[in-house]
Amino acid sequence: MYPFGKGFARYIPFLLLLIPMGLYLVFYFGPSVMTVIYSFTDVKNIPGSSMKFVGLENYYDLFYSGNSGERWRSIINTLIFMFIVTIVQNGVALFIAVLINQRLRGDYFYRAVFFLPVVLGVAVVALIWSMMFDPMSGPVNMLYEWLFGYKDMFFASFTHAFGYIIFVQIWMYMGYSMLIFLAGLQSVPKDLYEAGYIDGTNKWQSFRHITFPLIAPSFTVNMLLSIIGAMSTFDIILATTDGRFNTRTMAYDVYKETFRGSLEMGLPSALSVVQFLIILVFVVVAVRQTRKREVEY
Amino acid sequence: MVKRISALVLAGALTLSLAACGGNNDKAAPSNEGGSKSSGEKKVVKILHWKQENINKAMEEINADFEKKYPEYKVEYTTTGPDDEYKQAQRARITANDVDVLADLSGMRLSPQDWTPGAKTPDWQQWIDSGLIADLSGQELVKNWNANDIEKAGTYNGKVYAVPTGKVAMSGLFYNKQIFEDNGLKVPTTWSEFLKLCEDLKAKGITPIGVAGKDVWPLKLPVFALQAKILGGGDQQKWIEGVWKGETAFNDAEAVEVLDKMKTIQDNYMIDGFMGIDYASAPAIFATGKVAMLADGSWDAPTIATANPDLKFGYFPVPATEDAAKNASFVGKYDVTWYVAEKGPNKEGGLKWLEFFSQPENYTKFVKAAGFIPTQDNISTDSEFIDNELTPYLGDFELAYEIMMINRENVGEHLAAEGVHTEYLAPGGQFKTAKELADVQQKEWEAAAPR
Repeated sequence: MYPFGKGFARYIPFLLLLIPMGLYLVFYFGPSVMTVIYSFTDVKNIPGSSMKFVGLENYYDLFYSGNSGERWRSIINTLIFMFIVTIVQNGVALFIAVLINQRLRGDYFYRAVFFLPVVLGVAVVALIWSMMFDPMSGPVNMLYEWLFGYKDMFFASFTHAFGYIIFVQIWMYMGYSMLIFLAGLQSVPKDLYEAGYIDGTNKWQSFRHITFPLIAPSFTVNMLLSIIGAMSTFDIILATTDGRFNTRTMAYDVYKETFRGSLEMGLPSALSVVQFLIILVFVVVAVRQTRKREVEY
Repeated sequence: MVKRISALVLAGALTLSLAACGGNNDKAAPSNEGGSKSSGEKKVVKILHWKQENINKAMEEINADFEKKYPEYKVEYTTTGPDDEYKQAQRARITANDVDVLADLSGMRLSPQDWTPGAKTPDWQQWIDSGLIADLSGQELVKNWNANDIEKAGTYNGKVYAVPTGKVAMSGLFYNKQIFEDNGLKVPTTWSEFLKLCEDLKAKGITPIGVAGKDVWPLKLPVFALQAKILGGGDQQKWIEGVWKGETAFNDAEAVEVLDKMKTIQDNYMIDGFMGIDYASAPAIFATGKVAMLADGSWDAPTIATANPDLKFGYFPVPATEDAAKNASFVGKYDVTWYVAEKGPNKEGGLKWLEFFSQPENYTKFVKAAGFIPTQDNISTDSEFIDNELTPYLGDFELAYEIMMINRENVGEHLAAEGVHTEYLAPGGQFKTAKELADVQQKEWEAAAPR
């Protein structure tokens, strides 16, 4: 039976729904759609200035202009960033989660330690690593010199800076993935391992055939989060190299064109749309692939 | 979620920086008022500026004097981080009509010309065109300023919209007088003398030059000297117009010479690992005698003096050519430039404040603290540095390349931000010769041509 009475009363739930729907439309969906529309205009960041449609000009400017070489490099950088971060971050996180899940003494302590960088935040992490990686007097350079007799420029190196940023990104968010894996691991029923033990599985086999399939949902979540997160990262780049030394990604370019470029908002909008499309492709592929693997025993 | 966390952190950082600005306001506000709202009947003048300690202090003094003289006003002096952060604040505040007086990082520049089809209109010009900036022409206060400077840096379409508060030299090298004296070295006046000087220093085991390469823009400073004296045979403007019209090029002999000379300096005479030195620590490296010279702008003289009060140092223009007479002048720019907002909450108060600021006795306070070369006549700065080190080279003061160059929209990174980016030539950069970089620049320039 319909629980909300008759007559006008039956529409009340829908009317109430209108409030969050309206908020969503105005503050989330609206701006997203406007970004797409703006990407075909020459809109400016000045109230009251005129705006006209310019067709695909902004997209043309992105890929056929003096700086289109950099645009492609940003895209390639973004993909490199995404692949390495997703694979390494989840790999290391899974490994550590499995280790911590073994009821070690002080497992809460380890959990806290590995999760700490997430809590610190980007600005603090960037400051820490800028100091660690200081080319003139940083401890890491002293270590390098002592071990290999070699000095690096770290965040000021055209060839290595991006690698170090990837390292810092993984260091920062590894704890987050680890926590999700840990939650997944703890929901695996213990009797499955006992059954496996009776059947004579070794450690690797029980991981491969019991743990791994059963934490597939955590895997899906982690994959998605790291793909989207890595693709839209610009904060750590901003705080360490500020996009210098070949470390720009698409998300950084969007930020830069929007807030530090000219007052034109059409080009950054077009850039956001391109970025969105690329993220979309990878997310759809990733979800399809990981969903296939999810099982229940 | 990762994204959301970073968003949260950023939001937090933003709030924090806003809170920091708030703190500054409180400092600037007179403390004899009770609550913040007790000044209800006072008219607030909102001034936006960036953080630069020596200047901020002078500004706070001037603001306090202003409030004393005109008790009906209350100054709200807000400062943000410099450069990009400031530009962001500028845009937000002026478009929201939430500011009365705002500083710009330089005098008016980069206005499109008839020979620059498709060039970007700079922010200040768009603001004026949109009626956001007050017209100052006819105001008494304009007469206090040097007419030539107002014409060059504050006039648009025949009307005065801005007041440039001082000039700075950018193309020089600070040098340690003690080190020069101890080794019997003289200030060089030609390029070959300069190379000889650097070799002599190296032979004695002294690192010739320091520079803050990590921030990248300080590398532009010596290049400004090279560009001003070499491009167009010493007529930069001609070369810049030529590059738009296709008469000159980024890979022509003169442009390559500029890059090549800077490469010589970077490869041989700069401190090891200069690409890792950040701008804040560069003055200390020079002040402690680790290098004999420092590539930096004249505005940093007060900072160097603070870092080591006993240090005796001078400043000379990088001798770009073999013609000593041609070399003997600085290249620079106008610094802090005030605009009054047309649609701000208190335009009349803003004009009053600027008029007060323009009084020679108040301006002197400002320009002394800032270390600028004054843009009002007959101002005595009592600064040995300005009188002895800058004035001799001010005869033919020219504006720097980054002020004169009008870039094409979407020009590549090797030409972006009105620079020629010699960091790509530094040890570790991807270009092995000046010509390689120059060719890429010319290609990017042509690719950015308006369609």
